[in-house]
Amino acid sequence: MKTLGIDIGSLTTKVVIFENGSILSSVITASGDEPEAVAKEAVRSALRRAGSSFNDDIYIVSTGVGRKSISFSQQQKAITTCLARGVYYLCPSARMVIDIGAESTTVVKLNDRGRVRDWANHDKCAAGTGIFLQQMAKLMQVPVEEMSKLSLQAKSGVEITSTCAVFTESEVISHIHREPPTPKQEIVAGIYLSVISRIMALCKRIGIEKDVALSGGVALNSGVVNTLEKEIGFGVLVPDTPQLVAALGGAILAEENVEKGSN
Amino acid sequence: MMVDTTQKSNVKLHVLERFREVNSTFPKTSHLLDYKRSGNKVFGWLCTYSPEEIMHAAGILPIRIIGYSQEAELDDGNAYLYVNSCSFSRSCLQLGLGGGYDFLDGVVGGSTCDGARRLFDLWRNYIGTPFYHVLTVPRKYTEKAHALYYHEVAQFKQHLEEFLGSKIADEALYESIKLYNESRKLLRQLYDLRKLDDPPITGAETMEVSNASFRMPKEIFNRWLKDLLEEISASGNTHTGRSRLMLIGSVLTNPEFIKSIEDQGGLVVADELCTGTRYWGDPVVLDETKSPLEAISRRYLNNFPCARMFPSDERFNRIIDFIQDFRVEGVISQIIRYCVPYCHDLPLLTKRLKALGIPILALDVEYGTSGSGQIQTRVQAFLEMLEAKRK
Amino acid sequence: MTSFQNSKIDTIVRVCRLIMRMNRTRPNARPSEAMYYQMLTNYFTRLLNARENGDFVAAHTVFFPAELIYAMDMVPMHTETTTWMTALFTGECSDILEAGAQLGLATEICTPHRGLAGAFALGSLPHPDVILWSSMVCDNTAKSGELIMELCHCPGFFIDRPFNDSEYEIQYLVGELGDMVRFLEEKSGRKMNWDKLAEIVARMDRQIELIRNINELRKTVPTPFHSQGFLELLTIDYLFPGQPESIEYLETLYQELTAMVQEGKGAVPHEHFRLMSLFIPPMYLIGFFERISQEYGAVSVIEPFFTYWGEGRLDRANPLESVARKSYMLPEARMYGPMDERTLNSIVDCAQQYKVDGAIYYADVGCRHACATIKLFKDTLNDIDVPVLTLDCDVVDQSVTSEEEVREKLEQFFELLEDR
Repeated sequence: MKTLGIDIGSLTTKVVIFENGSILSSVITASGDEPEAVAKEAVRSALRRAGSSFNDDIYIVSTGVGRKSISFSQQQKAITTCLARGVYYLCPSARMVIDIGAESTTVVKLNDRGRVRDWANHDKCAAGTGIFLQQMAKLMQVPVEEMSKLSLQAKSGVEITSTCAVFTESEVISHIHREPPTPKQEIVAGIYLSVISRIMALCKRIGIEKDVALSGGVALNSGVVNTLEKEIGFGVLVPDTPQLVAALGGAILAEENVEKGSN
Repeated sequence: MMVDTTQKSNVKLHVLERFREVNSTFPKTSHLLDYKRSGNKVFGWLCTYSPEEIMHAAGILPIRIIGYSQEAELDDGNAYLYVNSCSFSRSCLQLGLGGGYDFLDGVVGGSTCDGARRLFDLWRNYIGTPFYHVLTVPRKYTEKAHALYYHEVAQFKQHLEEFLGSKIADEALYESIKLYNESRKLLRQLYDLRKLDDPPITGAETMEVSNASFRMPKEIFNRWLKDLLEEISASGNTHTGRSRLMLIGSVLTNPEFIKSIEDQGGLVVADELCTGTRYWGDPVVLDETKSPLEAISRRYLNNFPCARMFPSDERFNRIIDFIQDFRVEGVISQIIRYCVPYCHDLPLLTKRLKALGIPILALDVEYGTSGSGQIQTRVQAFLEMLEAKRK
Repeated sequence: MTSFQNSKIDTIVRVCRLIMRMNRTRPNARPSEAMYYQMLTNYFTRLLNARENGDFVAAHTVFFPAELIYAMDMVPMHTETTTWMTALFTGECSDILEAGAQLGLATEICTPHRGLAGAFALGSLPHPDVILWSSMVCDNTAKSGELIMELCHCPGFFIDRPFNDSEYEIQYLVGELGDMVRFLEEKSGRKMNWDKLAEIVARMDRQIELIRNINELRKTVPTPFHSQGFLELLTIDYLFPGQPESIEYLETLYQELTAMVQEGKGAVPHEHFRLMSLFIPPMYLIGFFERISQEYGAVSVIEPFFTYWGEGRLDRANPLESVARKSYMLPEARMYGPMDERTLNSIVDCAQQYKVDGAIYYADVGCRHACATIKLFKDTLNDIDVPVLTLDCDVVDQSVTSEEEVREKLEQFFELLEDR
């Protein structure tokens, strides 16, 4: 039996279809204002790619902030549980996963069976999230991808002392308008450093443990990954499609449920 | 507002640079490392209720545990002590966890406040030092309280003797008392210079000296301070300011904070900080009726009090005496967030100062701050208010 | 000056009566619950009528040995409980916090203590004849008295309770208690009734024994005591130490729980998660926690620092010394004392004996003394494979965390436990 995991984030919705221990298909789409309709369409298209349809018997687990906003999932699971399962499948040696989502960052520690041991998240703080990085790109008038390249050219990066997103923004503006302006690459590197230092503080709350994997769309940003590796002091694991980790975890949990049910 | 710039140029004080050097390299100063290399023991103490003379008499070099002298990232401190412990205790722990105090042979403190008590709990569990002792410090000055504290001090001495495997002789205690009293006397001489209309030394400079006083061997410190006093008297330096200020409140070790007030023309002439006056405040008074240990225990409990003590008026009255002695025109209170004993005292003290016509500026700060833009704006407004009041 | 009749205390009395009326119509209400609300009603009615009855009112802060007040036939006013019950029932939480701030008390002073001064300033609490406080647990309790003395223009006494429990320190505390008795005798013109104190101490000993026995019953799977029931035990200790009605309440509760254990009945329909509670949940979410306990089959089975008394007995032959010793046996006091191996081991012991699946640390943002132990407790419990959820909150201030946020965290935690 096929199972499906759907991760409804604040910015994107991700779907993974799973069968007999392997991924059949996946879809990533913008979440939009109507989560139910968007989610249905995403599921349909993923099922199509897997050669299946809504009419087939399929077990669905939803996760992410919007997990309760859809009507067609059999079960809802917290993002923490899904991240742990997903990362365990993709990077079995990982004992910690850092998920940088659009609006929140979650750090999960897992055991050698892919079960959550502890977690911590930023919920009331924008500094250290994907949307914050987008805002900064807009402020700098540099595309997000370009920012990543720029950061790698920086010497040391400017020091950004504010820990709050609002104040960070005004600090960045003052660097841009300074005479002469601070070089762009130095500002970008400074922004990355400030994001990573927020994330490091979160990790330290539950204690850093090797191996560390990264998930969420921001994991594709090599500048951020590079900065994190420098700060944490060792290499981190980045799966091929880091955005899908939680949705995959959902699909795996769905499969476990089906197996439990058939026993 | 124009700041008076008619000051004549002052000469550089060379001995002060030596003190600065100690402060900028602390905790791992050359003195401490040399001391360790020659096989001696160094203990760290926290809070002014830890009797240093006893450690010194045992041949140990006591130095004070403090945090980073600037505002610092406190990720580890936050993770271990949570964010609602004061930034002083978090800063100390952060420095300790990072190995800043890995040369210490012992840690000594008192049950003074929640922040200090928890810092010790975590220090013991996560840093670990061969010797560890917390004295119960009563919050009262009654005869019973003195008896309890004496008992605690005696227990501490005994614990130390067991750890070292040797007795601490009364003669050694007398010698240490003499040495420490000498430091106190010299610091008082330094502070007394600030009673002058145009003091020869600033508040920020004074803090360099008092900071060094608990970071280096007293034998060397006393020699240097004598040299400094001579150098000051030969210098003819003077400092003028818009108003004479007293700094009160939580632990403070960053001279830059005082400098940021003095740069705006405020003249910091007195303080009640546990890193300043409250550290050297009273001497150990010896007389025939008391053993040296009893004299030490009396002095530490009766010394210029922390806000933890009861009744609070004991502290308030001492502050008011200083205001009169140093002709203070305004008081700046700087309280580290979550430094609860001082927070509770603030409304009571404000009321008493108001009755005397002494304005008070209450600042919330984080430990290590050098004075943010917002603080400077408030200080400036305060100085203007003091000037307007004089007219 | 606020009189007793003009204060907000009558709100507590009215709400308690209302709850009692509602409980009478509930099919399976516990008799002990009715007794509990009756006790509260009596406590606050006595306070309300104190002036008319010519009583001497002794206000005291939390963990203060109220045994001595009862033994001198005075009317006690537990300031934290009175303030926050009034505030919760009148909805004036933010008003009294604001009043505290206007007195110049910083926001870093915990809400319970900032609110005390605010409540006196606002007139929500009546002015007592005397204010008594102590360094029983934290800096806030040690420092909150002097401002109240000035606000209420009344004399006060501070009990300096030493940090450790060495024999010498206990004797110092005995001396402090003796000095306070003399102080109260002088201020009130009343005499300490030592025989009565001996009786109260004997009953307090029985009270502790009953709580220990109740805890024994809570070890049963499924546990018979409802999830937030421990808050009742707490209030009994705060307001009625060594009082006859406490014994009656606890004996009734013990019988009820024994019957449930015999019938194999649990406090929640399907007991799923046995929890350890570290610190206390936000007061305004108590109802929510009860609901979610039912929903998820989660139940608090032990609170090492709220119901789990330290070793020792009280001796009626040495009443003052017993009161002093009790202050070191108090579950709360053990949390605020030195966090040494003895205390950490007792948590491990609790987790094992009560077969705990997980622990919830209610991280009250105002209680720096408690929060500073989170890492220590978490590491200690993780070592024996017990996960800990840290829930950031404030015990009374609703602006710190919302029901939704708490629900999200609890769901994640229960999922974690389930997944194991």
